[in-house]
Amino acid sequence: MKRRDLLATGTAAALGTLAMPSLSRAQNARVLRFVPQANLSTLDAVAGTQYVVRNASLLVWDTLYGIDSNVVPRPQMAEGHEVSPDFKVWTFKLRPGLKFHDGEPVLSKDVIASLNRWMVRDTMGQRIKATLDEMVAVDDRTVRISLNKPFPKMLFALGKNNAPVALIIPERIAKTDPFQLITEYVGSGPMSFAKDEWVPGSKAVFNRFAGYAPRAEPADWLSGGKRMNFDRIEWLILPDDATKAAALQKGEVDWWENPIPDLVPLLKRNRDVVLDIADPLGNIGALRMNHLHPPFNDVRARRAVMMALNQEDYMRAVVGDDETLWKPLPSYFTPGTEVYSEAGGEVLKGARRIEEAKKLLAESGYKGEKVVLCVATDVQITKAQGDVTADLLQKIGMNVDYQALDWGTVGARRSKKDPPSAGGWNIFHTWHAGADCLNPAPYTAFDAGGDKAWFGWPKNDSIQAGIAKWYDAPDLAAEKAAIADLNKQAMEFVTYGPTGFFLQYQGWRKNISGIVKAPFPVFWGVTKT
Amino acid sequence: MFAYVVRRVLSTIPVMAIVALFVFSLLYLAPGDPAAIIAGDQATPEDVERIRAGLGLDRPFLIRFGEWLWNVLNGNLGVSIFTNLPVTRMIAQRVEPTVSLMLLTLVLSISIAVPMGVLAAWNHGTWIDRLIMVFAVFGFSVPVFVVGYILAYVFALELEWFPVQGYTPFATGFGPWLNNLVLPAVALGGVYIALIARITRATMLEVLSQDYVRTAKAKGVGSRTILFLHALKNAAVPIVTVIGIGVALLIGGSVVTESVFAIPGLGRLVVDAILRRDYPVIQGVVLLFSFTYVLVNLGVDLLYTLFDPRIRY
Amino acid sequence: MSTTTYGAHIEEPVAATTVAHVSQAQALPDVLPPVKVRGRVRTFIHRYPTMAIGGALLLIVILMGVLAPLLTSYDPTALAPARRTRAPNAQYWFGTDMLGRDIYSRVLYGARVSLVVGFSVAALASIVGMTIGLVSGFVRWADSIIMRVMDGLMSIPPILLAIALMALTRGSVGNVITAITIAEIPRVSRLVRGVVLSLREQPYVEAAVASGTPVPLIIWRHILPNTLAPLTVQATYICASAMIAEAILSFIGAGTPPIIPSWGNIMAEGRALWQVKPYIVFFPAIFLSITVLSVNLLGDGLRDALDPRMAKKL
Repeated sequence: MKRRDLLATGTAAALGTLAMPSLSRAQNARVLRFVPQANLSTLDAVAGTQYVVRNASLLVWDTLYGIDSNVVPRPQMAEGHEVSPDFKVWTFKLRPGLKFHDGEPVLSKDVIASLNRWMVRDTMGQRIKATLDEMVAVDDRTVRISLNKPFPKMLFALGKNNAPVALIIPERIAKTDPFQLITEYVGSGPMSFAKDEWVPGSKAVFNRFAGYAPRAEPADWLSGGKRMNFDRIEWLILPDDATKAAALQKGEVDWWENPIPDLVPLLKRNRDVVLDIADPLGNIGALRMNHLHPPFNDVRARRAVMMALNQEDYMRAVVGDDETLWKPLPSYFTPGTEVYSEAGGEVLKGARRIEEAKKLLAESGYKGEKVVLCVATDVQITKAQGDVTADLLQKIGMNVDYQALDWGTVGARRSKKDPPSAGGWNIFHTWHAGADCLNPAPYTAFDAGGDKAWFGWPKNDSIQAGIAKWYDAPDLAAEKAAIADLNKQAMEFVTYGPTGFFLQYQGWRKNISGIVKAPFPVFWGVTKT
Repeated sequence: MFAYVVRRVLSTIPVMAIVALFVFSLLYLAPGDPAAIIAGDQATPEDVERIRAGLGLDRPFLIRFGEWLWNVLNGNLGVSIFTNLPVTRMIAQRVEPTVSLMLLTLVLSISIAVPMGVLAAWNHGTWIDRLIMVFAVFGFSVPVFVVGYILAYVFALELEWFPVQGYTPFATGFGPWLNNLVLPAVALGGVYIALIARITRATMLEVLSQDYVRTAKAKGVGSRTILFLHALKNAAVPIVTVIGIGVALLIGGSVVTESVFAIPGLGRLVVDAILRRDYPVIQGVVLLFSFTYVLVNLGVDLLYTLFDPRIRY
Repeated sequence: MSTTTYGAHIEEPVAATTVAHVSQAQALPDVLPPVKVRGRVRTFIHRYPTMAIGGALLLIVILMGVLAPLLTSYDPTALAPARRTRAPNAQYWFGTDMLGRDIYSRVLYGARVSLVVGFSVAALASIVGMTIGLVSGFVRWADSIIMRVMDGLMSIPPILLAIALMALTRGSVGNVITAITIAEIPRVSRLVRGVVLSLREQPYVEAAVASGTPVPLIIWRHILPNTLAPLTVQATYICASAMIAEAILSFIGAGTPPIIPSWGNIMAEGRALWQVKPYIVFFPAIFLSITVLSVNLLGDGLRDALDPRMAKKL
């Protein structure tokens, strides 16, 4: 008898005497209890781009390619590919024996439908779509994509980790409008989603999919054999960070994705808890302004915010006093790479220019209208940024309408293009994994394609041209020049406000091993004793 | 007496109707257009209009109320705006923890508070009485989350007697179930204990000062214990009443307690729904809690007749 | 649901005047004839110790809230992340929070929110509840309708009712006051109605009605004086529970907006760190508890002084 069956009957009390024996040690080792960064409210990493949704989706669905820890795409569901010398015709062959969670085989038609849906939402996908001649099934396991322009970054696009991810889902589900959330979760990945056990706001459960055929290579991020050492992974959504910390201290959970920095010292004192930097590529904090509506439809208003924006304030509020964990970032790109540039970043450096900002804001025509600041108060990073921004906006004389919401609501609210007075918004905060900000390809939030750009819908043709230039860059020097130019332009245009670069911890119990540093939690290869 | 029972049961109908009307108005008045929410981000105004007509949202208030009421009576509370799951399903998932917490708190509180109140009344005017009354005032004055955090710190983190968070279904076993609920129940019980103890003391004092008790005392009827039980039986009516009315306190308190101890119950459901403005969920939980409260008090009123045969209406 | 009916012979309302005595006596000890006043104060404290303690504590909290700008040297809302989460020290008496704001200032200014909410709700609920209760007691045809509505409202647990109302509006102090007031009105109107109904049976009221005295005059002469005492006691309890309700609403994110320093908000923000920086939650919690305690003591004292036989309600 399964526990959920007992519960489902609703007669749990009557059956109370049939007490279930508690899980034995061996059984316990097959169950992983994980505390994600936020509540899982949907499970569609194409229509929704929240990291928490992406992370869950990566468990449930597989991709044709998958990046490894060097951000190099490796074949995953694909056996391999052939490409024409001009990078225009790509042919992919699926591995044999791939199955969906409903037992159906994974076929070319599924791949085509999945990619079609993904292309509408993803910035790289949109580039493919724009130059697509045809995408056809050569046979049940072979798909050919013909483009009218070379696209050398195809494999990266299909294997990248940032949302929208090119997940392979069954054709009938992939036919869902890309702007509507899918509601049927038939996966292709190593774990299946237990929809009947899903309690939104409290618990999400994943069961091992016995029919999954892992690759032979060792697992590395999204590539290689995704071998699961757990029969069951429980995501427990706990209401506040204090409770999460306490649960980890006591061993009531096994792994906490993002312990807040203030609690790190406390957890470090516990001998049964291991803490480590989650991802050396870190994160970039983002103050996202809505380019469609006043006041931030005027570049001068956005610049005024940049002039007054003090990254140190943001970083201390988000990460705390441990200065090894953060640094100011006068750039839109992840520091430490060869192409990194701070061109045009002066606006974020030095003493903050409040008076000048006020003047510029007045020039932009701002007359004390309400600025709708949507703050997700349940996620510490967004809450801290929101509070600092409220203070910043008041300093430059703006009339702040601080709306305390939860992260799920902000996620839904930010997609509304309506005026702020009619349910839209002016500002929200988020952060981007450094892995997503290495260059413009995975960097959805950097795109300035207007309506098709990420929330806030920045529109700047010159930046779009710059991005195209980077795609076409023949060598590293040209790539570097392109990035420097993009950074300078984005700083002037203020695509969004970078609030600094920071590292985050993850924490787990000592009896868990195999957790790796990555921009997302990697569950395969993790074991529990 | 049968007529009274019938009348009392019937009298809950208008009350429940008022509650239903209020709860429906909540959704009716709620900002935001359900049609627009269902239509999604990319919908045209015509789409929204079509959906609105399809849902019947363009019809008059009373007709919609009637229809909604019909649905509620058929166990359909609508669909969550946020998760797209039926509200009844979301509530069903979370009923057990809340009911468990409330029942345990109820049992715990009564078994502590009634003896406390009696003790205070018996030792009226002494330091025992004062101590108990001071405790009772504190019970009213310290917010439940503060008590919760202190208990969690001392008994879960320092002494490690109980888990800090979570809930174990009753079906898993009585021990684990109880283990998870002790701290939240004690935290939640504070106000309730204070309330019941005060009322018990007050009514006991009143009964003890009544003529027939004095007469009984003077005549030397039985031991103190018998006298005492005699008095307690007469004091039972107000005590039971206040236990019924105090269920409102429990419901209010469970909203906070479940957040502090991460119990996946109805209280947390409503708190999560607030931040998301998920009106169908808020509506469903308020409706359920209110009906429970009405039913509890109906039960209490009917119990009167058992405790105090003098009551005739 | 039981309706408590109060005895008709309720003594003179002394609540307001006695409280005023205490405050005057403490604030102006040398202006008034000292010996006599001191004697009076001593007698008062001796006779009504709970009321004296409660009143004194409440007075201190009120003074702290009113004089907050003079008693603090930091802006309660000014961010300074560079000095965040400092433990209590000579400079920041209660420490600083996650954004470097001075908790001492925030707690003192927070007293304003709690007091404003507590007093406003008590006053508004009393006035509106009394009006409804009077109408219900005098206008026979309206009585059953009004009381059914009140029964309905009363059967929604108050915190839940307030939460539901807050869900309809935006977080603001005014909306919090309105929401809690609406939740408290039914209890007041029931109480007033009970008094009215019992007084109407009294021979002198019946006589007044029979002799054609206008209803407003009857209310003014006979009803109001007898209602004031139980109403005052009830109002203090409402004040106390409103303060707790505000803290709970803010704590769960449905109360005053987070940028306003209220005790509930300070605690909500500090709760993630209660293990490592317990003082962030601790100080507002103590102040809230003491304030509520003082109001409750005042209520108990008033009740005992006004009518020892008065039913001990919430």
